[in-house]
Amino acid sequence: MLDFVGKRYWFLLVSVIVIVPGVVFLIIAPGLRPGIDFTGGSTTTVAFKDDTSQEAVRQLMVDFGETDAVVQNFGDNTFFIRTKELDEGRKNALLDLMESRLSPSGVELLSFDLVSPVVARKIVVNGFWMVLAAAVGIFLFIWWAFRNVPSPYRYGLAAIVALVHDTLIVVGIFAILGEVAEIEVNSMFLFALLTVIGYSVNDTIVVFDRLRENVVLYPNRSFADTVNLSISESISRSLNTSLTLLFTLLALILFGGQTIKTFLLVLLIGVVAGTYSSIAVASQVLVAWELGDIRRVFRRGRSSQAAAAE
Amino acid sequence: MRRYARTLAIIVVIAVIAGLIVGIQQIKIGNFERGGDTPLGLSLGLDLQGGSHLVYQAVDADTGEAASPDERQMEALKESIERRVNASGLGEPIIQILGKRQLLVQLPGIRDLARAKDLIGETAQLVFRHRTLEVARVIDELTEEDIVSVELGLFAAEAPPEGVVSEPAETPAAEAEAEATGESGGTEEASTEEATATEVEAETPEGLPGLFVEFTDDGAAKFGQLVDRLRESLGLDEENNPVEADVVPFPSRLAVSVEGIESRNFELGYAILAGPLGLQLGIDPRTPVSEPFIKRIEESNTYVLSLGNVAETLTVARETFGDEPKVFFIEEIQGKVDEDIGLTGENLANAYADQHQTTGLPIIAIEFDIEGTRIFGELTERIAGLSDHQVAIFLDEDELISPEVTTAITAGTAIIQGRDFTLDRVRDLALLLESGRLPIPIELIAERDVDAILGADSLSKSVVAGLVGLSLVLLFMVLYYRLPGVIASVALVFYALLLLAIFKILPITLTLSGVGAVILSIGMAVDANILIFERMKEELRAGRTLMSSINIGFNRAWPAIRDGNVSTLITCAILFYFSDQLGTTAVQGFASALAIGVLLSMFTAIVVSRTILRVTANTLLSHRLEWFVPSGGADLPQQRAAAPVAQRS
Repeated sequence: MLDFVGKRYWFLLVSVIVIVPGVVFLIIAPGLRPGIDFTGGSTTTVAFKDDTSQEAVRQLMVDFGETDAVVQNFGDNTFFIRTKELDEGRKNALLDLMESRLSPSGVELLSFDLVSPVVARKIVVNGFWMVLAAAVGIFLFIWWAFRNVPSPYRYGLAAIVALVHDTLIVVGIFAILGEVAEIEVNSMFLFALLTVIGYSVNDTIVVFDRLRENVVLYPNRSFADTVNLSISESISRSLNTSLTLLFTLLALILFGGQTIKTFLLVLLIGVVAGTYSSIAVASQVLVAWELGDIRRVFRRGRSSQAAAAE
Repeated sequence: MRRYARTLAIIVVIAVIAGLIVGIQQIKIGNFERGGDTPLGLSLGLDLQGGSHLVYQAVDADTGEAASPDERQMEALKESIERRVNASGLGEPIIQILGKRQLLVQLPGIRDLARAKDLIGETAQLVFRHRTLEVARVIDELTEEDIVSVELGLFAAEAPPEGVVSEPAETPAAEAEAEATGESGGTEEASTEEATATEVEAETPEGLPGLFVEFTDDGAAKFGQLVDRLRESLGLDEENNPVEADVVPFPSRLAVSVEGIESRNFELGYAILAGPLGLQLGIDPRTPVSEPFIKRIEESNTYVLSLGNVAETLTVARETFGDEPKVFFIEEIQGKVDEDIGLTGENLANAYADQHQTTGLPIIAIEFDIEGTRIFGELTERIAGLSDHQVAIFLDEDELISPEVTTAITAGTAIIQGRDFTLDRVRDLALLLESGRLPIPIELIAERDVDAILGADSLSKSVVAGLVGLSLVLLFMVLYYRLPGVIASVALVFYALLLLAIFKILPITLTLSGVGAVILSIGMAVDANILIFERMKEELRAGRTLMSSINIGFNRAWPAIRDGNVSTLITCAILFYFSDQLGTTAVQGFASALAIGVLLSMFTAIVVSRTILRVTANTLLSHRLEWFVPSGGADLPQQRAAAPVAQRS
């Protein structure tokens, strides 16, 4: 049997290495790079004289540096394009590029306007409160569901720690991607994040369920051993489940359309983080709590507080 | 075995129904219509399916030319249209302010384009109305011109209605006869005048005084409708029998005002009410129940209205009303009547959330323009302090609030307070008042079809990729878990079919966020199966029989499946509730799609997979234990009896 519990400080290190850079990027401006859903921008309606396709126009927008552009087909080679705000120079450059690459016979600019955000920023604030409320609900439910084992509230808190861990990983990675690869966050990101939160909690509960069973079954074993046994027993299920999800997501990312890749990437990162955190975070928080690691760390000083949370 | 077979049969039936629902492009049963020309007839959001692209321009109300609204007006315009589209169930729209004076509205699908345009085209109409509780209204649609003649007469109390009025040819004669006997009856009654009223009525089978009102064709039709409405509002059917379980909150009453030598008002229809319902309405319970108070003389336009206790005999009736009584009909409505006073959102200058100066409680402050100040002042002077009058405020015919008026307000600024006002409610109401304040009239300047945001080409690729991904999952399950994997695959196909059928029937508008929810719930469905198989595998390794391994495997896996799914359902409920509160409707779609997916995934794993497994365990296949365990049964008990899990059994 692999010793998962003994390696908990290694797990902690891995989490810290993944999370800290993301959090740093999140704190320094601009944090997450808001997409045009949130910022608004320009809309351009153009009619191409030569035949072209939505895919070609979208690719052109990517090459033009507007990776986040939303291209909608009006039919008759006319396209409605939403981008970040384009100034006069950029607009003309775009039209020139369209003409030279897609429509040598010429392009006609039908309209060009500034446009307001689709999603009010309040959805982000609202989303935060909703997630907080959901976390409280989940905590209370787990507390109740694990009422037959000692200190059931610890399970609830540990699941919430894992949830926060996964959220930080996803958000942090996108803060980095926003800085490095100019990947933007649109309203779909929020939904993907909600999905990840759902997965994270579900996965944690499955591992805890094994623990709930074993704590009663082997009352004389040390808690750390029981946790280790439970992880070993449930690991093939954990891996198989996340593998099946990863298959689907990878297939979608590799062969699917360009437009939903950000959405899928969030899910992909979230599934990996969610599976990892059930074993390496949620369960280890319980062990650390039981063994008094957390108290010891707190006594040692405030500097390690972040570590204790892991 | 028989039990499992029956469950299996039910599952097959469900699958067939779901298959039909998904398979039939357009379902139409009476008013119930689902499906359309979308893939599988599902209702899809703007991101997955195209829709309509509408551009509106703010126009000057007077000249009809392009107006120059300020940013705040445009925001208010956007909000009021967003609110209306969301409330209308047209699906999640994309609404953006375009430039300085245009509004872009994209709606998914194009089925209801005409309705959508109507809905958006009308600018939000905020209306203030004078509400009166419990009013009497002269029925002015029934005028003197509708009445041919009014005569006093007598009609039999005991005889069935047909007895008096059935033969149409005899009607004038019958009437005359009635009058004739009426005279004699009247004298008879007069002689027994000392008797109590009830006795008189009970003991005079010859008849009771009544008003014979002959209407024109038109008038008879209108009066007939009034009588029907009266009956309906009293909870009675055509034979005046109470309609069961029909609680009528606001019964209306039909009264007739008779003007002759003296004038009297009396109610029609309370005889049929006597009894418990009559008591509630304060009607003398001694009133004879058998007596229909309003009767139509068949195949004529004449109605007989009983004079009840207004005039107990025909003689009294004649003395009271003379020979040529005039009648008016009055409808008394218990409940409320709203009356337009010409005060609309255009007269509202401002509305905002505030706090009461002395109590600190949340209030809504409103300010009117000059015209509004005048109208509002006049109204409030009239109804101040009256508890049966209110100012009812409607936004697009939805009632927002209906406060009572405590003092006359002539300065044009009012505050609205309420016991249940919270900061949030006050803010929402103020926003609604403000958004309905007719920011600017708009006109449609461009309209066209638009393709899916995610692009049809990109989406068809993604659908193929999704199918590839799912096939990989199924392949993995079959290769790794063998026979149970095959069963799980069947269960998952069932799951997908049922999910699509439910989405189509409800219907749930599927957007990319909904697809995310579906992917998660598929993951959970697969997970539930894996959990069960892992447990089953352990039990088989511990040397149990196949059937008991299946049962114990399910029982052991159940708490994990249950708790995991319940926690997700809790999340869904919280998301749904809060998104409703916070007005983020997009999250609601996600939450409901996820909840449906999770419930179905539980059902699939617990009922479908288990039943098929049990049925399989009863066939010859059960002799091939190694087919039920990964890696060809290499680690079945005979090889590895010492596996740690074995200790448990």
